[in-house]
Amino acid sequence: MKRITLAILILLAVVPLFASGVASGGEAENMTHKMTILVFQLAIIVIAVRLFGHIFSRYLKQPRVLGELVAGMVIGPYALGGIQLDFLGQQLFETTGGSLPVSPELYGFAIVASIILLFLSGLETDLPTFLRFSGVGSFVGLGGVIVSFFLGDALAVLLLPGVDNFMHPTALFLGTLSTATSVGITARILSEKRKMSSPEGVTILAAAVLDDVVGIILLAVVVGVAKVADTGGAIPWGNIGIIAAKAFGFWLIFTVLGILLGKKLTRGLKRFRSMEMLTGISFGLALLFAGLSEQAGLAMIIGAYVTGLSLSQTDVAHEIREKLEGVYAFFVPIFFCVMGMMVNFAAMKGVILFGLAYTAIAIIGKIVGCGIPALMSGFNLRGAFRIGAGMLPRGEVTLIIAGIGLASGVIGPGMFGVAIMTLLVASIIAPPTLIKSFQGGSGYRKKSRKKTTEEGLIAINLDFPTKRMTDFIRSEILTVFRQEEFFVQKMGLHIPLFHLRKDEILITLIQKDEVITLNTAPEHEQFVRLLVLEAILELKDFLKGLEGMKSPDAMGMDLMSRLFGGPSKEKKTQAEESDNGEKEE
Amino acid sequence: MNLKKLLAPKMVLTELAGSTKEEVIENLVDLLMESGKIKDREVALACILAREQKMSTGMQNEIAIPHGKSDTVDELIVCIALKKEGIDFESLDGMPSKIFIMTISPLNRSGPHVQFLAEISQLLKEEEKREQLLAAETAEEILKVFIG
Repeated sequence: MKRITLAILILLAVVPLFASGVASGGEAENMTHKMTILVFQLAIIVIAVRLFGHIFSRYLKQPRVLGELVAGMVIGPYALGGIQLDFLGQQLFETTGGSLPVSPELYGFAIVASIILLFLSGLETDLPTFLRFSGVGSFVGLGGVIVSFFLGDALAVLLLPGVDNFMHPTALFLGTLSTATSVGITARILSEKRKMSSPEGVTILAAAVLDDVVGIILLAVVVGVAKVADTGGAIPWGNIGIIAAKAFGFWLIFTVLGILLGKKLTRGLKRFRSMEMLTGISFGLALLFAGLSEQAGLAMIIGAYVTGLSLSQTDVAHEIREKLEGVYAFFVPIFFCVMGMMVNFAAMKGVILFGLAYTAIAIIGKIVGCGIPALMSGFNLRGAFRIGAGMLPRGEVTLIIAGIGLASGVIGPGMFGVAIMTLLVASIIAPPTLIKSFQGGSGYRKKSRKKTTEEGLIAINLDFPTKRMTDFIRSEILTVFRQEEFFVQKMGLHIPLFHLRKDEILITLIQKDEVITLNTAPEHEQFVRLLVLEAILELKDFLKGLEGMKSPDAMGMDLMSRLFGGPSKEKKTQAEESDNGEKEE
Repeated sequence: MNLKKLLAPKMVLTELAGSTKEEVIENLVDLLMESGKIKDREVALACILAREQKMSTGMQNEIAIPHGKSDTVDELIVCIALKKEGIDFESLDGMPSKIFIMTISPLNRSGPHVQFLAEISQLLKEEEKREQLLAAETAEEILKVFIG
């Protein structure tokens, strides 16, 4: 690690020696210069996010994204990036003078990254889980959104000069900013602590889905309001109603259409028999809808999210996600880093107290806003606090909203800094709070609660004599399902747990020592039984083939006889061939 | 799956002539020949027999689902027939088989035959449907049980 850091530092030190003065006249040269700067910027960003991400996750035990964000702050135009570099003839990250402190080229990368992020976030949305637990989940999620929104909005009206009513775009933005939960951190902790299917865990996950959707619709409304406010003064209530209806309408129509057409679309695309093609076209559609939603007066991420959501119920959702992992790993850290770069420390001086108050409000908003509906839905105080704590972390959606606010001039650099500060504080205090909150007894008042995840599923058990044989048969069964165009995804890292999906059929296959268990919905039981039967019958063929094989003893003798003997037949033949070749020459 | 598309009256027989397992399988293959979609009868027969050799397709509740995969067909073909007095089809529960559903699907391609058989078996789980089927006098009445 130290050596790598040293090597990078040396490389950075010697680069100027080879650099020539690139800043000379001409449009073409100007373009080359801009691209050269961009390449240098990307080089520094790509290296910095890796190093900071590593330091944060390994040594500080914090999520990587926080490291990437801090990397942006450190190398950005308001810190190290603002140092004049003679070999470039400028600062590496020069403030552009507009509302954004980074170059349009670099911001372009961040925009593409935000589209990837939201497309994947839509793709990961677990609609069935949400629908199954939507009752309590929606209640809790909605409570959190409403309370945080009003607290954020009210605080802006109370404390910010020039913000005099609840409908002021800045107040609306600050309200929206405090609503979006990033459940990724919570999900990781819940899964590590095996609390994912606990009543609290399930409620948090369902609430987070609603949180995302409502947060994004709110953003659409706020962006719409901000755009109207930009063009002329006060906004009548009627207009806000129209904007809200338009935003909600766009979201609803495209989501419903998307879910209806998603399966048909992927079925059509599957004919190409290439996952690369399918993934490429799906991502292309995400970009297309992102552009369309921006054209419709909403934000780009809404189109991207809706495209993801539309495809989330298809059997290729996991495959698309997997195929996009490389793109994600490259672009998304750039996004977090560029967002970090936009933090203007000087502008934050005047709003630091407001920032602290806003952070406190953002935390209280979720604990109270989610906690009270949870209390009303059968959880005790402990359970309600767990749910509130689980909804604390803020992430990419907060950043994107803040970025949009900054780019459109609705919020200034100070408020942008406040958003980042809230994100950092909320995300850092959430994990220890959540872990601590899960100590102790049940968080549910009612004693018996039905088992949630395995509810109503049929289990088909297959018992085999040895583990090795079970491993082999498991792989055979998976092959048969793949041949039937099922998408097989390994879920557990350390245990053989698989999800097999095709259209609306979902099968869970788990192997425990010598037993393979397949779980599926009752309506698919026959299908699964028949398919597994095919796999077992194919094994019969295989065993027959084995019987016909040369006896293992004879094969063993054959292998041994050449261990210490002369060259093998193949080698001899090769040697003879080369001899012949030489002779011919 | 569109059962209507797969099942036509000419692919349904109310009474099979054969009285042994082999004869019934031959009768069923001949019935499938009616579709005009089998290139070689012998190949079709061989693939069904090969599957039977691995394990009998005589299920419970008087149902048998002889099936096979072969390139002698380009798409899934299906026929349904009855043998009301029942024959020994080496069934799972030892009972004589009376309801026969035969499918042949192309080799090396994910076949919808599993889906088809799953749907049929789901349907015939209901005793009432089986009774209706065995009481059917015409091909149309048999089809009605499946298509409604």
